[in-house]
Amino acid sequence: MLMPLPRMPAATQTPAAPRLTTQEALLRKRTGWFFGMTGDQFVKYVFQGNAAISIVVLALITFTIFRVAVGFLPQNHANLVIYRLAGLEFVDIFRDQVTTHSTISRYLASAREQQLARLTKKEGLSPAAALAQLAVFDDFANRFSDTISDEETILGTMTDLATSVKERQKVGEDLAEGKTKLLAAKRTATPERAAELQKQADEIQIETIDFKAEIQPLLAMRPQILEANAKLLTAMNALAADVPKFPDPAFTRKLEKFQGFVQAYAGEIKTAEAKMAAWDQTKPVGWLEAFNAFAFGRKWITASFWQDWYGVIPLLTGSLLIAFLALLIAIPLGVAAAVYVNQVARPTEQKFIKPYIEFISAIPSVVLGFFGIAMLGETLRRVSQSPGLDWVPGFPIAERLNATTAACLLALMAIPTIFSLAEDAINNVPRSFREASLALGANRLQTMIHITVPAALSGIMAAVLLGFGRVVGETMVVLLCAGNRIEIPDFSKGAGVIFQPVHTMTGIIAQEMGEVVRDSIHYRALFMIGVLLFLISLLINWLAQKIVRRYRISIG
Amino acid sequence: MNAPITTPAIFARPTLAKRVESAVFTLLRLSTYLVLFCAAFIFWDIGTKGGAVIFQKTAPFINVPFLTEAPETLNVFEVDGHKQTMGDRAFRQYKVQHADELKGAHIETYVYSAGGIFPNIVGTLLLVAGSMVIALVLGVLSAIYLSEYAMDGPFIRFLRLSIINLAGVPSIVFGLFGFGLFVIALDFGVSLLAGWLTMAFMVLPIIITAAEEALKAVPKGYREGSLALGATKFQTIMTNVLPYALPGILTSSVLSIARVAGETAPIMFTAAFVVRDELPWQVQKWTDFFFQGVMALPYHIYVVATKIPQNEYTRDVQYGTAFVFLFTVAAIAMTAVVLRARLRKKYKW
Repeated sequence: MLMPLPRMPAATQTPAAPRLTTQEALLRKRTGWFFGMTGDQFVKYVFQGNAAISIVVLALITFTIFRVAVGFLPQNHANLVIYRLAGLEFVDIFRDQVTTHSTISRYLASAREQQLARLTKKEGLSPAAALAQLAVFDDFANRFSDTISDEETILGTMTDLATSVKERQKVGEDLAEGKTKLLAAKRTATPERAAELQKQADEIQIETIDFKAEIQPLLAMRPQILEANAKLLTAMNALAADVPKFPDPAFTRKLEKFQGFVQAYAGEIKTAEAKMAAWDQTKPVGWLEAFNAFAFGRKWITASFWQDWYGVIPLLTGSLLIAFLALLIAIPLGVAAAVYVNQVARPTEQKFIKPYIEFISAIPSVVLGFFGIAMLGETLRRVSQSPGLDWVPGFPIAERLNATTAACLLALMAIPTIFSLAEDAINNVPRSFREASLALGANRLQTMIHITVPAALSGIMAAVLLGFGRVVGETMVVLLCAGNRIEIPDFSKGAGVIFQPVHTMTGIIAQEMGEVVRDSIHYRALFMIGVLLFLISLLINWLAQKIVRRYRISIG
Repeated sequence: MNAPITTPAIFARPTLAKRVESAVFTLLRLSTYLVLFCAAFIFWDIGTKGGAVIFQKTAPFINVPFLTEAPETLNVFEVDGHKQTMGDRAFRQYKVQHADELKGAHIETYVYSAGGIFPNIVGTLLLVAGSMVIALVLGVLSAIYLSEYAMDGPFIRFLRLSIINLAGVPSIVFGLFGFGLFVIALDFGVSLLAGWLTMAFMVLPIIITAAEEALKAVPKGYREGSLALGATKFQTIMTNVLPYALPGILTSSVLSIARVAGETAPIMFTAAFVVRDELPWQVQKWTDFFFQGVMALPYHIYVVATKIPQNEYTRDVQYGTAFVFLFTVAAIAMTAVVLRARLRKKYKW
């Protein structure tokens, strides 16, 4: 039933607007109310602008961290120039030589300790009897470490000389900076104040250091060094020829090894002498050298009285060692869980396991780190101290917090990433592949090994890569649990290396960022590490996408 | 003569392949359950030890002071042969009243080990709420563009590449970026605002991906119907797409809330203070609210786990904080997982 229409207002009451024909009305360009855009166009641009935020943020990240990091190079260059000019480099050549000697002494000491443990534990000697047996050896070791005493005295003198030159240079630099500040303040000050500032600035006497003259005393010590070295060599050779004899073959072998060290050390002295003779203060420091000191530097030493080094290698090896260990645990477990859930598990199991593992990824990293400190580290150490496990390399663990503690927890963080991506990849393998294989009589395991997993391999590899990215970029767990010792892990210890404390790239940023002076070289070095991390993450992403795209099987 | 078909003939001894298969499957099952067990053990460890701090046997059954007070220094001292522990405020009063007894007594102090974690809870809530608002607005608008407007082209490809790469950037690099840009270059100082922006940008890729997925799941017919009736594209999106995608967007975002709440590295230098006496709303004027640093739970865990010694007195605050934090985040994540499962069942177009 039709309702009566409401009465229309009479058209004659208002002057008639010019009516467009329908066609015209539809075709007329509806130029809008905003910069000549129609509403819809405007809305579209609003959305588009928002979407561009991601690009903007990525660009901003790149810009921000690169801008700060770039300043590192000139500052480190200046740092190295002073290192050479003030003769610190010269002293360090000699220092390396002396350090090697004490390394050999330490080797003797550790050999003694092992022998003592063997004598008391295995042969059941009383501590006093064991010590009596080793008295000859102790005497020998003491005589050996005494041979270096002349060198040590010389090194001390040289260190003082070089430090004082560097110190004066630093003071001069600070004064110069103060002067520039005063002069800068003068520009905006009132005339009287400006005069006063000018006077203050004039009073600052900046010493210009003639580095060439300053290091003459250092260079003059060369003959003294040669003489001491010659003495050292004769003393050492005499000692090496007269190594005390012990009945135990293992211990004798160790002492033979020691003789080898002494011979190698003689060679090292010769190279050090040659290096010192050839050392040239005026040799310019290249820019590449300043960069290499970061990229290939083996020392990260900050706030030291001698010389600061910003080499990333100890941190990089620490990060990679932990990541490698974590993946060693996470890949088998993550992929196995993915295969199991997708191919073997019953639907009820699937429904439970998948959300569970997804849920693991929500455990905050700092809580995992805390768990490592409070529980896992101590537990691992206790286990390692049980006598039945002595054969495991690196056991008993010396430090509660070490690379393995961190790696175990990181593995737990990487497993959800690897699991979900790998499970997706396996899930995307067409059913027909499996069905064909099963129809040919293969059982489920054979199908899995020969068909399903190879077909999903590119996805699994991408999953592993992204898991690696997650592990390398993780901060809190490694900061709390990795032990934070800035040294290249000692790979000569064999597999025991995994129980050493290490420091990582992410950890050092988190640890030192809060304490550094803004715009100092240290601050910029931390940003350099940030840049490195950023580049690693981009590389991993790029690789993962490339692998997925390149090896994707055509699904037909 | 026909041999009778017996049961063993059908269920013959398993072949080698069969046995290998079942062995491998068992191995796979074991490794899967090992992962689940490890996670469960962590929950159990922190749940029992932390739960002992948070819950108590007598009414009100929850350790209310721990949740409502600020952290203080713990004083441990011996008077009349028995040990006493006291928070700083109580101890100051006690010192006035019992000055004689305390003379010569050995007093040990442990920072942050008494009181509670109220300012930290508040700070974390503020950080999460602010950054989620920013991230949701930016993320949903971006996702609408990607799913409704974008045509394939160099701009879109570059955009998607940026999003993927942004998702892979380590959180500590976001922290450096936020520090360099917001704290230093824009001079916000260590502040809520700097933390919000840093964390919002960090979860942006996750939210965009989740929201786009939810938008794409709305059937095409809904849009076409609306457009056919003469609605503009914007009207279509507002009336026929967003309302249906919204539950999906929100549930997926809950998981990123868990991520934001759980991160420590980005707020370490942008928003978090080790200790601050005022609560966030105690500010001089309202603009100061955005430019103040806050205490946050994850950072507090880091501080109490590394900066104070491990012993019986400090253990409570360590495990208690970890408990509150872990189970808050876990509850959020659990909500997300459950909601998502229900949503998938409910909307099957």
